[in-house]
Amino acid sequence: MDSLITTMGIKIASAIQGVLGIAQSAAINYGIAALLVGIAVMIIVTIFDYLFGWIERKLVAKIHLRHGPTRVGKYGLLQNAADFLKLFAKENIIPANANRLLFLGSLPIVAAIFALSAEVLPLTPSFYGVDLTLGLLIVFVLISFVPILIFIAGWASGNKFASISAQRSVMMLISYEIPLFIVIASVAMLAKSFSFISIVSAQSSLWYVALMPLGFVVFFIALLAELERPPFDLREADSELIAGWLTDVGAPLYAIALFIDYTRVFVGSMLIVLLFFGGWNGPYLPPSVWLAIKVLAVAIFVVIVRATTPRMRLDRILRLGWIWLVPLSIINLLWVFLLAIAVV
Amino acid sequence: MAETKINIGPVHPSTHGVLRLVVTLDGDTVKHVEPHIGFLHRGVEKLVETRMYMQSPSYMEKLDYVAPISYDEAFVATVEAALGIEVKERAQYIRVIQLELQRIASHLLWLGTAINDVGQLFSVFMWCFKDRDIILRLLEEATGGRMFYVNMRLGGLNRDLSPGFANHAYKVLDYLEHRIKEYGSYLESNPVFMERMKNIGVMSKAEAISMGVTGPTLRGSGIDFDIRANYPYYVYDKLRFRTQFENGGDCFARYKVRMDEMQESIRLVRECLHTIPEGDAIGMPIRLIGPQPKEKEVVVKRELPRGEVMMYMVAEGQRPYRFSIRAPSFINTSVLQHLPRGHRLQDLFPILASVDTVLADVDR
Amino acid sequence: MKIKSDQFRETIERLHDEGYTYLVKITAVDWKDRLEALYFLRDLSTGKEETVRFDLPLKAPKVPTIIHLYMAADWYERELSEMFGIEILGRDAKRLLLEKWDGKDPPLRKAFEWSKPYQGMEPVKFAEKYNEPDKKGKKGASRQNVIKIDKPFM
Repeated sequence: MDSLITTMGIKIASAIQGVLGIAQSAAINYGIAALLVGIAVMIIVTIFDYLFGWIERKLVAKIHLRHGPTRVGKYGLLQNAADFLKLFAKENIIPANANRLLFLGSLPIVAAIFALSAEVLPLTPSFYGVDLTLGLLIVFVLISFVPILIFIAGWASGNKFASISAQRSVMMLISYEIPLFIVIASVAMLAKSFSFISIVSAQSSLWYVALMPLGFVVFFIALLAELERPPFDLREADSELIAGWLTDVGAPLYAIALFIDYTRVFVGSMLIVLLFFGGWNGPYLPPSVWLAIKVLAVAIFVVIVRATTPRMRLDRILRLGWIWLVPLSIINLLWVFLLAIAVV
Repeated sequence: MAETKINIGPVHPSTHGVLRLVVTLDGDTVKHVEPHIGFLHRGVEKLVETRMYMQSPSYMEKLDYVAPISYDEAFVATVEAALGIEVKERAQYIRVIQLELQRIASHLLWLGTAINDVGQLFSVFMWCFKDRDIILRLLEEATGGRMFYVNMRLGGLNRDLSPGFANHAYKVLDYLEHRIKEYGSYLESNPVFMERMKNIGVMSKAEAISMGVTGPTLRGSGIDFDIRANYPYYVYDKLRFRTQFENGGDCFARYKVRMDEMQESIRLVRECLHTIPEGDAIGMPIRLIGPQPKEKEVVVKRELPRGEVMMYMVAEGQRPYRFSIRAPSFINTSVLQHLPRGHRLQDLFPILASVDTVLADVDR
Repeated sequence: MKIKSDQFRETIERLHDEGYTYLVKITAVDWKDRLEALYFLRDLSTGKEETVRFDLPLKAPKVPTIIHLYMAADWYERELSEMFGIEILGRDAKRLLLEKWDGKDPPLRKAFEWSKPYQGMEPVKFAEKYNEPDKKGKKGASRQNVIKIDKPFM
């Protein structure tokens, strides 16, 4: 941790300790600095969520030949804030036959998981929460927890639509986790590391999307399914299952669900940029700007996919996963294996 | 796997009205569907018996709020048949123009909502609504009403076309022809959409006849039958009209029939605008009562956007003695008991969309 | 085609064999002294139509089901049984399809209690008013008022 914020964090920590008269200790310094970085990452995630929410609404509206939000703030920029305030001001309703603890608990845990995975992702070469040697694996392990928690949430609400949606979620999980992990393995093989920092620095001359375009396509489709964005949004298929696992969820929890929705797009876009588009590598502009541009571009592409693709059917999605993506990801792995041998 | 019963509706995003489906599921497979209707029952058949003839068209319009002119016209035609009133020639042309414009508007609304049900493709929904609004504005210019018109009068219309109508209509038709073609090519080149529509809810020729379905649902099963062609009314026999039908019998065939019908309607309106004669088109004012028949029984058939409506009326003096409607949506909804069986739960919604029901019409 | 109610079954089977395979509508009329059931049939290939009609008693009317010939009869028969109180023999048509009411008479019978016919509109005799000039002395087609829409169409 050698960035501006972390050094500032250490200074602030030592100042606090000086005021309180506690002996200086590296562990406490580190802890306070990590906390500050964590808060900074959360602020960035929130800003992204907010911006992404606005961009999604405006862009989809443009594709629909509508105007989107225009009333609250300039260009409707404050609309999302107004919506969140409205949602949090409303009463939380818990269905009579819901399991209270699981129903109330699972959504915040999902939100926490996505926030936690955002902490592991480095934002610039010098600004990150923790650089774990197994960061890539940690993120995917965290993301894989989500469908299970959603299954619990759907089951806990005691609603049939919610439980059908939860079952679909688990089906998607088992068919899309495998190609995703095989592609990650090929990325790690190419970079010879699971650490995001080294993966990005390995791409400083050539992005991985050029080295393994097939892997990128598989990864993108599988990630869309993993994050359950359209056309794989079976979990919230609102013309079929009303709102899926959120059918019985009250307003404040729904606000959390929206936060989850946007945060997972952040995590997904970050992963795509870090693993395939060279992360913060780019000429002239500072790394953070490059990263922001790339992440927003991926997020906008995700929105365009949403506005132009009809939802797929469950059995077709499973077939796509098993018959196309798994073999293609294995072919990609072999290709990367050959590539690694050739380079060495 | 154990059977699950789920209740879809009466308030559900995909039922577009108050239809309740009790679906028995075996895993993800639909075993049995039981439609429950009647949430919107207003007893129109009885209501019409208590009103004088020309008080009823506004009730008729609310039966099918997606295509009000068509129902309005069918009822007024029934009364005209009962009272023995001839429709003026120019009025016949104008009626055909309005009916066909209404058909395009109705099919556009169907297209938008159906695509949204099939795959949450809200973009097409918004585009279709925008285009439909253009037609509504054209009809507003012609009749004075945007959603509900009550423009038909005995023997003619309330209002002749305005002087600039033809020019506006040509412009709108050119635009729509282009747009509808574009939607068609866009949707049919989308593999996900084709996958969701092809071979879903297949209804064979014999089944379609036995189930008594009407309109595009019948023609989607390869039956060349259209009231406009087989029992022509007004000037349809003078126009070059071709019945659109498809052989597939699945959701895609029903979609295709409607898309082709829109193009055919555009052609018909153009032809009418070319050949419309000059003259008087104004009908009798509402309050006038014509000759009063004694127990005269009439049956009038009309091709509505949703299918064939058959109106049976026993006219007795100033009021109908008995009035009965064969509502196209009623019989098309009854098919929902049979079609989704054995399909996935997700396929229920394309099927529901493809038979195109308006619940106010089902319940009457 | 007017038949006796006991000939109904063989008539409809004969017509079905003759090609009238499409059932358009089943309905009934309450003539106050009797009920008349109407079956509208059609041959889709030739366009020929046939209406089978027969009288039924007001008290405890019964008709046999034709659902084995026409699947379309399913809901029509249910509607008939609940709207006219006609019992459908040979199938369970009991569940209420359209409405639930607690009156004694089926709703589309003439005996069904109903508020008085609406009298708000005064009828005007046909010959007097039609084609009578309006205030400005105009007749017929010129009576219309043209609507102008300022907004552009597209």
